[in-house]
Amino acid sequence: MLLMQILLNGILLGGLYGLMALGMGLVWGVLNIVNLAHGAFIMMGGYAVYFLYTSAGIDPFAALPIAMLAMFLFGFAVQYGILNFIVRSALLNTLLITFGFDVVLTYVAQLLFSADLRTINPPYAGSNFGVLGLTVPVVRLGVFGVALGLALGLWLLLRMTRLGRAIRATAQNLIAARLYGVDPRLLYAVTFGLGAALAGAAGGLFGLVSQISPYVGATLTAKSFVIAIIGGLQNPLGAILGGIFIGIAEATSALYLSPTLVDVISFGLLVVILVTRPASSFRAA
Amino acid sequence: MNRLLTTSLALALAAATTPAFAQSDTITLGAAVQLSGANANTGRYYRDAYQFTIDKINEKGGIQVGGKTYKFALKLYDSQSNEDLGMRQYVQLITQDKVSFLLGPFSSGDAMKDTSMAEKYEMVMVQGGGAAREIFTRNYKFIFGTLPPADNYFASTIDMIQKLEPKAKTVALVAADDSFDVSVAKGTREILKKTSLELVADQQYRENNADFSSILTLVKSKSPDVILWSGHPQEGINFVRQQKSLDVNAKILTSMTVGVPTADFRTALGADANYVYGMTPWLPNPQLKDKWFGDAAQFAKAYQDKFGYAPDYHAASAAADVETFAYALPAAGSLDQAKVRDAIAKVDFQSLYSHVKFDEVGQVSIPQTVIQIQNGKVVDVYTDKVLNKPIYPVPPWNKR
Amino acid sequence: MTKSLPGLLLAASIAVVLATVPWWNNAVLLQFGINAVQLAVMAQAWNIIGGYTGSPSFGNSTFYGLGTYGTAITMVQFHQSFGLGLGVGALLAVIVALLVGIPILRLRGPYFAIATLGLAATVGAIFANLPIAGENIGLVLPLTRDEPLFYELSLGVLVLVTLTVLFIDRSRFGLGLIAIREDEDAAAVTGVNTTLFKVTALAISAFFTALVGGIHAYWITFVDPSSSFDPRLNVNMVIMAVFGGPGTVLGPVVGAFILSTISEVLASSISTAASLLFGIVIVLAVLFMPKGLVDLGYGFRRLGWRYFTETVRQYRL
Repeated sequence: MLLMQILLNGILLGGLYGLMALGMGLVWGVLNIVNLAHGAFIMMGGYAVYFLYTSAGIDPFAALPIAMLAMFLFGFAVQYGILNFIVRSALLNTLLITFGFDVVLTYVAQLLFSADLRTINPPYAGSNFGVLGLTVPVVRLGVFGVALGLALGLWLLLRMTRLGRAIRATAQNLIAARLYGVDPRLLYAVTFGLGAALAGAAGGLFGLVSQISPYVGATLTAKSFVIAIIGGLQNPLGAILGGIFIGIAEATSALYLSPTLVDVISFGLLVVILVTRPASSFRAA
Repeated sequence: MNRLLTTSLALALAAATTPAFAQSDTITLGAAVQLSGANANTGRYYRDAYQFTIDKINEKGGIQVGGKTYKFALKLYDSQSNEDLGMRQYVQLITQDKVSFLLGPFSSGDAMKDTSMAEKYEMVMVQGGGAAREIFTRNYKFIFGTLPPADNYFASTIDMIQKLEPKAKTVALVAADDSFDVSVAKGTREILKKTSLELVADQQYRENNADFSSILTLVKSKSPDVILWSGHPQEGINFVRQQKSLDVNAKILTSMTVGVPTADFRTALGADANYVYGMTPWLPNPQLKDKWFGDAAQFAKAYQDKFGYAPDYHAASAAADVETFAYALPAAGSLDQAKVRDAIAKVDFQSLYSHVKFDEVGQVSIPQTVIQIQNGKVVDVYTDKVLNKPIYPVPPWNKR
Repeated sequence: MTKSLPGLLLAASIAVVLATVPWWNNAVLLQFGINAVQLAVMAQAWNIIGGYTGSPSFGNSTFYGLGTYGTAITMVQFHQSFGLGLGVGALLAVIVALLVGIPILRLRGPYFAIATLGLAATVGAIFANLPIAGENIGLVLPLTRDEPLFYELSLGVLVLVTLTVLFIDRSRFGLGLIAIREDEDAAAVTGVNTTLFKVTALAISAFFTALVGGIHAYWITFVDPSSSFDPRLNVNMVIMAVFGGPGTVLGPVVGAFILSTISEVLASSISTAASLLFGIVIVLAVLFMPKGLVDLGYGFRRLGWRYFTETVRQYRL
């Protein structure tokens, strides 16, 4: 029974982890940009939803689309105005420039919002219900549902829409895509914007289960890295599965080993998976 | 020739009629405090209290050391909640800014490192932000601290639990893995061994990890009477929220080492903060008399009026640090580090914070007052006897 | 890019001047100097695996941390000398580099980067749970006040690692590394033992990084998991190397000194806005001089201001 509850906890949190990885994986897989500021985007989304809730009284779940739109526009601008200029240089450069963004965004957030921890605490925050002897926190269930929904939405977008096909084409072969009339600058900007929007949603949800501060970004970026790789960069649903896998791994290792070994587990698993996966399932670097 | 004479006469006259200002010499106290970054919220207590106390002492004429009058000055750096930067800033304070003595940062982690620098350069530091016993058991000579030892934090709470009905039998301990909380956990285990309480769960978690679901699920399965929790204030808030969402109840009470006295705690949790127990070594009690502020209640009011937020024990501890110098320097009769160090080791005075006297390794010993949040207010309930009626046992989540 | 003789002489004379810093009677400068020199060593060590070999390691903090703990444990738990401690730390790092390098170096590009990131976090977490390492609280080393010693030692290591890089730059080993960086498969085909070369590069990188870690530990008198395995260290050393010019002999050193100075000046004057400006500096540097300072130096001499527009044109979408 204890184990079942632990598994449930892990799955519900894992869905959120997966959503975090979704945005990073999309940008990485399509644009070959590893966004070290991804965690900062999550943080920004968290603040957006926090302020929409506390100042305008909008329910956090309802505020998500607004935050996502704002983050999309932000991401679009960043890609179009800055990143597009160095996209073709060494991967290391995109790592560094996004690191620079992370530093700037964290600082600005601290300047604007102070280091105070913000919790998004709607009236139903602590409610839970029992099912089969397990306690299910309502908010965590909602978070899981939204994460799953967004992943599904992204998958449908990529599979079924023209935009999605254009994005996939660009990921496969930029030159060929150009030949088909895709304007890569716009497309890159849209993709990065989508990644930012997903990060923003993850941030809003994160604020419901944990706390937002200007500094939450760093750990979340690292976690998203891990999950994006484990889940594979091609399929959004893979990211969710990767997230759930990590969520369960963390929860069970906290129970059976020691809560202090949680980091060892996630990263250790990552290294093991990276090293043992067949080389062919990796996109050429 | 004439012109020269008149000019020099004029100058001499001017010099003679210039009022001779009673120049008081300055003793500069230096510190690197977290003014930005993750710990800025607590760091500000130190900055404001240091300055407030220094201003008050100066206002009342400063201090007399070896026949001369001195005023205090403060030189502060922002360590940006970065321990390594803080360490380098202390070296700068000592070697470049050439301050006279040092005050401390907030948090045991920073204090551990900063005190090493002070000891290295043999400059006296009185710090009010680090409680871990390890800071003081390194055989350092120049370091003193005004926070009571972390190991004893739960002593009064456990004492209270043993005296009240219904009798508690089982305890779950949850603590973070940084120096302060490990100290607390070690000490608490020792205290519990001497009682009839049984430790049924003993969990350590990685600091800065916001998710307690596994630990809470485990704790719930053991149905403890008492949950004792130690970590950072921000994690404490998370713990309570997740306690509620996973429906985890301690049959009698939950107590936390930090966070409970602060306004942040109650604002973030709203009604869920009710019934939680906590502790503080200080309350703005008019019985705590002070040479410069009158008493603790007056200090608290003046502080709130000036800075716009209420002081807590961090601020009081910081004030006591400055006052330690104000008592020790006149007693030492000199500004020599070794003499001052010896004088501080011998001080024994009453302040708005508490009765200040350092033990043989330089730490004070102040009992924690057990507090409980009742109806959105912090109520002091127990020191070694019941002060105000505690709500005991605490109602479970579904009955609130 | 091989350095010409006048360039080397200049570098050597600067090194001699730097060696005299402890006698300038400026304690703060000395502190800053120790820090800057240590960062330069790490950037230069990274240069071997990241710059020349093209395997961007984001986990050199692992070796740094092993150096700190190797030294600390030897000195504190076994009461041995500093020298022995340094040796133990360096040995530990090299062993780990060899053991872990072989499987991890099979990965390319960003995957290698992530794996090294994971390595750093894992090893850090392991030490946070080891009683002999003081668990999460760490260890306190014996106190000593010999700042000039630490400075000269660090400077010595910097000279050593730079000479090593110079040697690599001129050797067949170095050619092999560059070949691996440019096109690993082609290099393998032409008979370069890629695994051997890469692992050797990683081991050398680990060795020097660990040495500096050990010195730092004794200097600070304190080790704990969060500062020994600080992830920011990784980013810092990479930024400094890339800013200065990866794959060059002096680039990382120059980059490290310049960025350290900027950072320190900002931190002591504007304090709070320091990190903001630092972040902006990084963004601008990547936008306008993506190939590093050394390349900028040569390129500017050739092309003048057009260097910047050419670079942007080369890399924009």
